[in-house]
Amino acid sequence: MRTPTLPLDAPPRPAAGSRWGLPLLLVAHLSRPRPGGSGSRAVLILPLVAFAAATALTLTVLAGVIMFLGWEGHELDIYPTVAGLAGAILVIPLLSLGAAAARLSAHRRDDRLATLRLLGATSGTVSAMTVMESAMIAFGGALLGTLLYGVGLPLVGLLSFGGAPIGAAALMLSPLVIVGVVAGMTALAALSAVLSVRRVVISPLGVRMRRDAPPLRRWHFVVAGAVILLAVGALQVMQAGTSLLVMRVTFIGGFAAGIGVLNLLGPLVIAAIARSQVKRVKTPERLIALRQVLESPAATWRQVGGVAVTCFVAVVAGSGLGLISQVPNGDLDEPSRVLFSDMSTGIVLTIAMSFLMVACSVGVGQAAAVYDRADLYRSLHLLGMPDLMVSRARRRAVLAPLRWTVIVSVLVAGVLVFPLVGLAVVLAPLSVLTIALSLVGGVGFVWLGVWATEPIVRAVVGAAE
Amino acid sequence: MPWTGPMHTVVIDAINVTQSFGHTHALSGVSVRISRGEAVAMMGTSGSGKTTLLHCLAGITQPTSGTVRLAPPIGAAASLPVVTVSDLGDGERSRLRRERFGFVFQQGLLLPELTAVENAALPLMVAGISRTAAQQHAAHWLAALGLGGLEDRRIGQLSGGQAQRVAIARAQVNAPDVVFADEPTGALDSTTSDEVMTVLLDSTIDRGGALVVVTHDEAVAARCHRVLRLCDGRLVGGPHA
Ligand SMILES: Nc1ncnc2c1ncn2[C@@H]1O[C@H](COP(=O)(O)OP(=O)(O)O)[C@@H](O)[C@H]1O
Ligand SMILES: [Mg+2]
Repeated sequence: MRTPTLPLDAPPRPAAGSRWGLPLLLVAHLSRPRPGGSGSRAVLILPLVAFAAATALTLTVLAGVIMFLGWEGHELDIYPTVAGLAGAILVIPLLSLGAAAARLSAHRRDDRLATLRLLGATSGTVSAMTVMESAMIAFGGALLGTLLYGVGLPLVGLLSFGGAPIGAAALMLSPLVIVGVVAGMTALAALSAVLSVRRVVISPLGVRMRRDAPPLRRWHFVVAGAVILLAVGALQVMQAGTSLLVMRVTFIGGFAAGIGVLNLLGPLVIAAIARSQVKRVKTPERLIALRQVLESPAATWRQVGGVAVTCFVAVVAGSGLGLISQVPNGDLDEPSRVLFSDMSTGIVLTIAMSFLMVACSVGVGQAAAVYDRADLYRSLHLLGMPDLMVSRARRRAVLAPLRWTVIVSVLVAGVLVFPLVGLAVVLAPLSVLTIALSLVGGVGFVWLGVWATEPIVRAVVGAAE
Repeated sequence: MPWTGPMHTVVIDAINVTQSFGHTHALSGVSVRISRGEAVAMMGTSGSGKTTLLHCLAGITQPTSGTVRLAPPIGAAASLPVVTVSDLGDGERSRLRRERFGFVFQQGLLLPELTAVENAALPLMVAGISRTAAQQHAAHWLAALGLGGLEDRRIGQLSGGQAQRVAIARAQVNAPDVVFADEPTGALDSTTSDEVMTVLLDSTIDRGGALVVVTHDEAVAARCHRVLRLCDGRLVGGPHA
C-alpha cells in the first residue's frame, strides 16, 4: 500500500507586478476543452465558426463592391453606385451576424466565470479575461474566414458580369483591406465583450444580467413617426429640384433613417403578429414557437430582420428592371442589355447573400440556444415529448417571423410602388417570378441553417440515456 | 404473480434488473415491485444507483439485463396484456412515458416562455387533446395545488416552490399510473420542501396513482409508505422489495 503524498509545498505564484499574466494564464486554462463537456467545447467552436462565416462573407461582399467601384467608364457610371447600394443593404445582416458572433463569444461562459470568482479572481480580472478571450476567438475565426474567402474566390469568380465571368483575380482584395477586416472583427468582438461584461454582474454565485432587455417605449413610436414625416418632407424638397449634393445627402440620410425606423418598428410588428396568433394556435409546437417569439421580439428581429431591406429593394428594383427589359430587344443596344442582365444578377446575388448571412446567424444562434436549453430538451425527451415536436417548435420560432418579415416587406414595397409592381406582374411575369423564387430559396437557406443544428439537439438529448 | 389482489395491485414489477456502463455496475440484480396507491421513497448515497433504477423503471433507459413489466391501465379491458417495458423500442417507450407516467425533476424544467397553465397542459396537448380542454383541465390542477390565480404567470415570475407545483401539475394532468420524482425538493428550502412534498404525495395517492420518489431527506422518506435503500447498485436488506 502506498500512501498518497499531499502536495504540501507552496503553490506556484504569478510573477510579481504582472497585470496581464493572470488573465492570460486563466484564458489558456479555460480554453482547454474539459473532458466530457461537449457544451464547453461549443463555447469556443461556435463563435469561431460564426466569426469565420462573418469574415468570409464580409470579405466577399467587400471584394465585389470594390471591384465594381473600379468599373468606371460606363456611360451611366451606374455600376459603382448600384454596387455601393447593394453593399449598404448587406451591411445590416452582416452587422447582425458579426454581433451574433460577438454576443455568442461573450456569453455561455457564465459558469466558468462564476467559478473563477469563487476561486478568488477579482471582477476586473474576470472582465479582462472575457474581453481577451472574445478577441482571441474572433481573431482566430477571422483568420479562418479569410481562408474560406480565398477558397471561395474561384467559385464566386464564375459569376458573370459585364458579359463575361469576372474571374477570381478581379475579386482579390489588397492585403491591407484583409488586415483591416480581421482587425475590425477582433475589435468588434472585444467591444461587444466590454459592453456585455458591463451589463452583467459577475458575482461568485453566478452571472446574472443586471436587468432585462429594455422594453419598447412610447418614444420609439414618436421617433419613428417623426422620421417618416421628415423623409416625406425631404422627398418634397427633392422634387422641387436641388443640387446633386443635397440629393445625395438626403438619399443617404433617408436610407439610414429608414433602417433606423425599421429596427424600431420591426420588433413591434413581429410581436403584434405573434400576439394576434398565440391565443388561437392549437398544436404544442406552434404554441411554443410563438411564445418564444413573444419572449423576445427584439432578439427575434435581430436574427431575421436583416432580410427586410433586401426584400423591399428587391421588389422595387426587380419590378423596375423587369419592365425595362420588356423594351423590344431591337431598341436596346448591347451595353444596355448587358447592364440589365447584370442588374438582375446583382439583385438575385444580393438576396442570396443577405439570406445566407441570416442563415449563418440563425444557425449560430440556434446552436447556442440548444446548449443553453440542454437540460430542458433532455427533460422534454424524458417526459416522452416526441423529438419531432421539439424540432418543429424550434424551426417555427425562426421561420415564422422570417416569413412575416419577408411578406410584410414585400407588401410594403408593393403598396409604395404599386403601379410599378402591378405592371411588372402583368408585363414581366418572368422577372417577378425570379425575384419570388429567390426569396423562397432564401427562406430555404435559413431553414437549412436551423436544420444544421438538429444533430446538436440529438446529441444533447441522447446524453439523457 | 399477483398482478391483482385485495389490498395491493401491482403496477410495476421489476425483476433482477442490472445496468452496467462499461465497467461501472450501476445496478446489480435489483428486484422491485410497486403497487397502485403506494408511495415509495428511494434513498442511498450519491452514486448508489437511485437515478439509474428510476430510469429503468420508467422506461427511460433499457436495463443491461432483467425485465421491467407494467400492468395495463386501471379500467382497461381485462384482456389488455402486461407490457414488458424493457423489451420495447425507443419510440414505444417514449409513448409509454408520455401516456402512463409523470415526471418531476429537481429543477422544474418547465418551458420558461410558456405560462403556468400552458406548461401544465403540455402533456395533454401532446396527447392530441384540444388546447381549450387541455388548459381547462390543467387550470383545475393548478387550482387544486394552490396555484389558483397564477395560471397566466410565466415561469420566471413564480417562486421555486410555485414552479415545482406547476411541474407537479404537469406530471398529474394525464392521470399517470406512476409519478417518478428525482429529488423533487432538492433545490428548495425545508419549509417549501415540506409543502411541495405534501402536494406531490397527496395529489398522486388521492387519485390512486403510485409515487416513486428519490430523496436524501429522511423526513420526506418517513412520509412514504416504504423506503428502498440502495447501496452500490444493490438493495439493502435483500434483493427483493
Ligand atoms: N450514463 C452513464 N454513463 C456512465 N456511468 C453512469 C451513467 N449514469 C450513471 N452512471 C454511474 O452509475 C452509478 C450510479 O449513478 P446514479 O444512478 O446516477 O446514482 P444516484 O442517482 O444514486 O446518485 C454512478 O457510479 C454513476 O457514475
Ligand atoms: Mg441521482
